[in-house]
Amino acid sequence: MVDATLVKPDLDFVKGVIAAGGESLKKCYQCATCTVVCNVTPEENPFPRKEMVWAQWGLKEKFQGNPDVWLCHQCNDCTAYCPRGAKPGEVLGAIRKQSIREYSAPDFLVDLVNDKKFMALLFIAPAILLAVVIAAFGNFGIPGGEVVFTKFLPVLPIQLIFTPALIFGIAVGVLGVKKFWVDMKRANGVRTGDLKGSVIETAKEVLAHKKFKSCGINADRYASHLLVFYSFVALGIATLIGALYIDILHIESPFSFGRGTLVKLFGNAGAIALLVGVTMMITNRFKHQEKLGLGSYFDWLLLCIIATVALSGFLAQLTRIAGAAAIAYPIYFIHLVFVLSLFIYLPFSKLAHMFYRGAAMCFMKYSGREAQQAAAVSTTPGTGQSSGPGKETGSE
Amino acid sequence: MEKKIGVYICKGCDIANAVEIEKLEEVAVKEHQIPVCKSHDALCSPGGLDLIKNDISAEVVNTIVIAACSPRVKYREFSFPGNVVERSNIREFVAWTQEPKTEDTQALAEDYMRIGITKAKNSELPEPFLLEEMDKSVLVVGGGISGMTSALGAADAGYNVILVEKQEELGGWAKKMHRQLPRSYPFESPEKPTVNDTIDRVRAHSNIKVFTSSEIEKISGVPGMYDVSIKTAGGTEQVKAGSVILAAGWRPYDASKLEHLGYGKCENVITNIQMEEMAAEGGITRPSDGRKAKRVAFIQCAGSRDPGHLPYCSSVCCLTSLKQASYVRESAPDAIAYILYKDMRTPGQYELFYKKMQDDPGIMLTKGEVVDVTEGANGNVEITLKDTFLGESIKLEADLVVLATGMVPNTTIDSDVLGEWKKKFDEELAASGGKPDPNAPLEPHKVPNILHLEYRQGPELPQLTEAYGYPDSNYICFQYETRRTGIYAAGSIRQPMHMLGSIEDAMGASLKAIQCIEATANGYAVHPRAWDQTYPEVNLQKCTSCKRCTEECPFGAIEEDEKGTPFHKMTRCRRCGTCLGSCPERVINFKDFSINMISSMFKALDVPEEGLRLIGLACENDAYPALDSLALDRSRMNPAYRFVPVRCLGNLNLAWIADALSRGIDGMILLGCKFGENYQCHFVRGSELASERLGKLQETLGRLMLEPERVKLVQLSIQEYDLLPGILDEFADELGEMEPNPFKEF
Repeated sequence: MVDATLVKPDLDFVKGVIAAGGESLKKCYQCATCTVVCNVTPEENPFPRKEMVWAQWGLKEKFQGNPDVWLCHQCNDCTAYCPRGAKPGEVLGAIRKQSIREYSAPDFLVDLVNDKKFMALLFIAPAILLAVVIAAFGNFGIPGGEVVFTKFLPVLPIQLIFTPALIFGIAVGVLGVKKFWVDMKRANGVRTGDLKGSVIETAKEVLAHKKFKSCGINADRYASHLLVFYSFVALGIATLIGALYIDILHIESPFSFGRGTLVKLFGNAGAIALLVGVTMMITNRFKHQEKLGLGSYFDWLLLCIIATVALSGFLAQLTRIAGAAAIAYPIYFIHLVFVLSLFIYLPFSKLAHMFYRGAAMCFMKYSGREAQQAAAVSTTPGTGQSSGPGKETGSE
Repeated sequence: MEKKIGVYICKGCDIANAVEIEKLEEVAVKEHQIPVCKSHDALCSPGGLDLIKNDISAEVVNTIVIAACSPRVKYREFSFPGNVVERSNIREFVAWTQEPKTEDTQALAEDYMRIGITKAKNSELPEPFLLEEMDKSVLVVGGGISGMTSALGAADAGYNVILVEKQEELGGWAKKMHRQLPRSYPFESPEKPTVNDTIDRVRAHSNIKVFTSSEIEKISGVPGMYDVSIKTAGGTEQVKAGSVILAAGWRPYDASKLEHLGYGKCENVITNIQMEEMAAEGGITRPSDGRKAKRVAFIQCAGSRDPGHLPYCSSVCCLTSLKQASYVRESAPDAIAYILYKDMRTPGQYELFYKKMQDDPGIMLTKGEVVDVTEGANGNVEITLKDTFLGESIKLEADLVVLATGMVPNTTIDSDVLGEWKKKFDEELAASGGKPDPNAPLEPHKVPNILHLEYRQGPELPQLTEAYGYPDSNYICFQYETRRTGIYAAGSIRQPMHMLGSIEDAMGASLKAIQCIEATANGYAVHPRAWDQTYPEVNLQKCTSCKRCTEECPFGAIEEDEKGTPFHKMTRCRRCGTCLGSCPERVINFKDFSINMISSMFKALDVPEEGLRLIGLACENDAYPALDSLALDRSRMNPAYRFVPVRCLGNLNLAWIADALSRGIDGMILLGCKFGENYQCHFVRGSELASERLGKLQETLGRLMLEPERVKLVQLSIQEYDLLPGILDEFADELGEMEPNPFKEF
């Protein structure tokens, strides 16, 4: 007799994926074109074909500890080539959202962040919080004289709110990754591996943006994501130096040239790179709209937060220098609200990918799957990455 | 009528560049003493045609030989009603395929002149065969959606229709449906059955007479004049009809043979027919406990595409399951339908329906092979599937399993019934002094079933083994046709099809039935020789009643009288001339096509002592067009061959071979269609019969002391024309290596 697994299809899971932006899920008829054109999938048990059918069948448990949905970088080559408009890229995005919901606790925040209905609440809540804090510690209004943002809200309350928010975001993400890691090990029957080496290798890969280079249709994403990624690094550095100046060296902001040059350099370079990067991301979406679709709310929420953060930050600086207090303070307020949102929603929004994708990429190395694949490819002469022997049947 | 032959030679389309026209004229004038011989630069031009027309009006000619292009082109231009017209194909067979202005080319063209002139000398104008009495009614057997649509089609066109239905009421399977497949764009949602509208239209139509609870008792006669006995509830009715549409439908495959899929073993395994009935009654429940079925699994290809059951695809079961899955989904928001398939097949526009149904999150599909179906706890059914899309073998639990069984045409005779009849026939044969062969299979059409035809060849429509019980027809060219002229199969008895397909099919069949009636009324053959008014004429005085013609006629057109003498039921005849080829006494001939004519053509050829001379008999339907195609490509053709078209290679009479070879011809190539189960012959078995006849060639050639290798039959399909030069050269080489035909010197 055949050794068969009892499957328990869950209709609600199917509906959940559809509601999360995978409305094209059911169009898939399993031709496996997606898997064949995908440049980032492993050769053995490649994605996204199998994920499509699992999702159609509501096989929820298949997605617990599934690193593959996170290995996908959503370059959407699959979506571009899908003969039935099933948009595997979008569906995997929706499944990732479900995965975030599974691992980032509390899950109601995932629902809240990713439901269009609550969009207003998403920003009003931090706005009210900030408004209360400003009223208590600063000057909730338009302070007179030279535009100095600390008049509006001093540094200490900012730090007292933003630092815990960031720590909260990161902590939720880290805890989620921990749970995810345990699930991946269990689901894939992996006991042990080289964790340190895997983390280092993954970090190198992320810093070099290696995976993005293999995308076909949407190749310009390499540049935009690289810009956004390094702009955040630069802005992070600028913030750290700023904190150093204020808390250790006790230099008041705004910093003047000379001592403040380093902060300004990193801050402005980061801001410009972020603006350019996020603009490219948005225009790319329109450019590829016909083939790939515009994307879901999940995608756009993050794009809009980042775009607003970048734009408001940059404008706040310009208006400050220009001395236009009536505009500068409100813009600064918006900037604060969106940065706070970015921090709090870090593990619940699409930005959570930095945790889970990182973990999945790391697990590929940790479990030895990547090494196996490299060995298989190198011992098979004349096969490139996308036509290896381990690739799904149906590719011929 | 005195024959006044005129020969007209065209110089256009490179003909004059390839051959000496004057020498061709000499063949006509000097060799054959034809008084009128003219040439023109472009015979098909108004000027060229006037040349001919003036001679006709002046009553100088009444038999016209046109030496120009292939008879397959310009037939409208070269049509002169009331006159015999012959075509010598010197454009395709000479000018376009030979080296210009060589001796061989000239000789070839001259031989085609001789062939054409000889044929004209031996051709007569046809006198159409007309029935003394005719009836133009259409008999439709079967009152389902196909039969009713056919009936309405013919009736709306003004023909009287007799509709015979076995059941008490009209409607067939369509009437039993809960919902039917959408019939128009966007092909997305099942519709409420519309069959009652059709029934009402049929009942109300003044041209349609309906017999329900009735069956055919006997059909005798011929197209144009069938005598039909109908057994009704009250007795027997006699009616007349001109043609017949068989639309007696299908039955589901016997699910009791599907125990391996749980049928009969698990209470909650039912068929798609039972599912439809259940849905129509209002509710999808489990037979075991009457509980609502929330998880329903459909097993596709249940007994289909399976050599142990139905080897074919019924093409509707996938659609039916998708439709029934929608019933499941409508029954409750959390109900799930699983569709487990070998391949989803939703032909044509129904891809849209498939897409729409698949879009429902509660309809889950996977490919897979069902390995086991067992009963689990609480009457649940457990299905084990291997080779699934899910990447592993799976076990699935369902409340209810629906087997998507396929269609069996009602023409199928079940093997046990066939066995009983075989026994009966063998006993009858033994009683009358014959020797029954217990191993010879009984052909299903010999068993009385639906039509009860009074035909010598059997009461039903012939089938092919690989047609799986469906009536035999030329699948490529004439799908509606059966092997009984005037009888057209429509709907799922012809081929498995869905309702929309049946409706289209039925309309097609009514057109065919009408065409047959009108062709018969005007003395024309029906397809594929729909222009033909000639028919086989038999010199019965010389007939030895050997019965070869009656047995070989592919269409059952030849019956026997009490003394065993064959006679043609002419309107059943399709004018293929298989009988002409079969007759050892050479007594069957057509006005424009006879044994003697072909023999005379061979005898008229110029056979020099030196050099190879070969004859090619080419089937008019496939081989001859293939030769023409070669010419269109301007390919070179071996100049040793003289091609003579035949109606079908089944015309081959061994006398021709003897006549040709004793004339000094070195060899003959016979170009016919592919035969066997996937035959391409327009007349079913022509080339196959020719090949069988060649089995007796040794006897014929032995008398002449010639090698049987001098005759070769080639099976060629029309698109293989590019193979022809190679085939022809190879045969010519083989014969070139042999001694020349010793009869050359006589």
